[in-house]
Amino acid sequence: MRFRIYRYDPDRDSAPRMQDYQLDDIRPGMMLRDALIALKAQDESLAFRHSCGEGVCGSDGMNINGRNGLACITPLAGLKEPVEIRPFPGMPVIRDLIVDMSPFYRQYRAVKPWLVREDPEPEVEVLQTPAQRARLDGLYECILCGCCSTACPSFWWNPERFLGPAALLQAWRFLADSRDQHSEQRLDQLEGPYRLFRCHTIMNCVEVCPKGLHPTRAIGQIKATMLKHAI
Amino acid sequence: MSRRASGLHAWFLQRVSAVYIGFFVLILLARLWLVPPADVDAWRQWVASPLVSVGFALLIPCLALHAWVGVRDVILDYVHPLGWRLLMLSLAAFYLLAVSAWALFALERLS
Repeated sequence: MRFRIYRYDPDRDSAPRMQDYQLDDIRPGMMLRDALIALKAQDESLAFRHSCGEGVCGSDGMNINGRNGLACITPLAGLKEPVEIRPFPGMPVIRDLIVDMSPFYRQYRAVKPWLVREDPEPEVEVLQTPAQRARLDGLYECILCGCCSTACPSFWWNPERFLGPAALLQAWRFLADSRDQHSEQRLDQLEGPYRLFRCHTIMNCVEVCPKGLHPTRAIGQIKATMLKHAI
Repeated sequence: MSRRASGLHAWFLQRVSAVYIGFFVLILLARLWLVPPADVDAWRQWVASPLVSVGFALLIPCLALHAWVGVRDVILDYVHPLGWRLLMLSLAAFYLLAVSAWALFALERLS
């Protein structure tokens, strides 16, 4: 199987290049991560992140044949040859397929992704009804791989100011949580033309999310909640 | 006062104006299709009737607001240097104001 992989070492190379690889030992059910590990055995200078190997840690996000995804859950069988592998678009490259995720994490931190309560700490857990808990389904499963935000043109254009789909999904996850008491401040923080409203419902985020989540719907729910609080 | 340009208001105005524009354009198309005016004078007469001219008078600011939010979005997305951004936002605002005033003036001359 043929691969074309983005190679760039900013310390040595003046410009990025695409390097061709060939892998003959393709086993049934093999995932792209397995192929990359085999290619790294051929050429140990090839750099990429990976860890759990089963779509849980979100480390091996990359652009595979023009579409963001996790290498560990992308079967080789469905890929067109040569498989063109690039780092996440729009992110600063550290080396080869490894990008600097700091802008992504900065936006994630900005939405205060934790429960904020004004009431004194209770003696026991803050309980939720099954219905209240059900509102968090489709939100808490995000693994922060970055596939969505780095596929979002609005995030490419304004990475410093637009929070991006992953952070906004988490913003809604805490707005939707019955235990959180910080809704007004959260909504105030999202007002303005950039942080939330750069989203133009392009929906690349929904298209690429490896966990099948729907950030665009979450963003719509934030807007509807804002409107409810405003009028 | 907030130092930020509006997010929610602009988004809400764009949607509300879209509903009105869609509604009024449908009425216009229906009228043109079902009862086509015989000539320009018949058309002018129809536009000058009180209800229709109020409809047009509302359409013009709705179109301008809708276009303003859309153009503003494009400029905020693509134009990053502050000077250029201010210049283009100002040009767009003046253009839309001028076109709206002109359209309202034309409407006024009909009635």
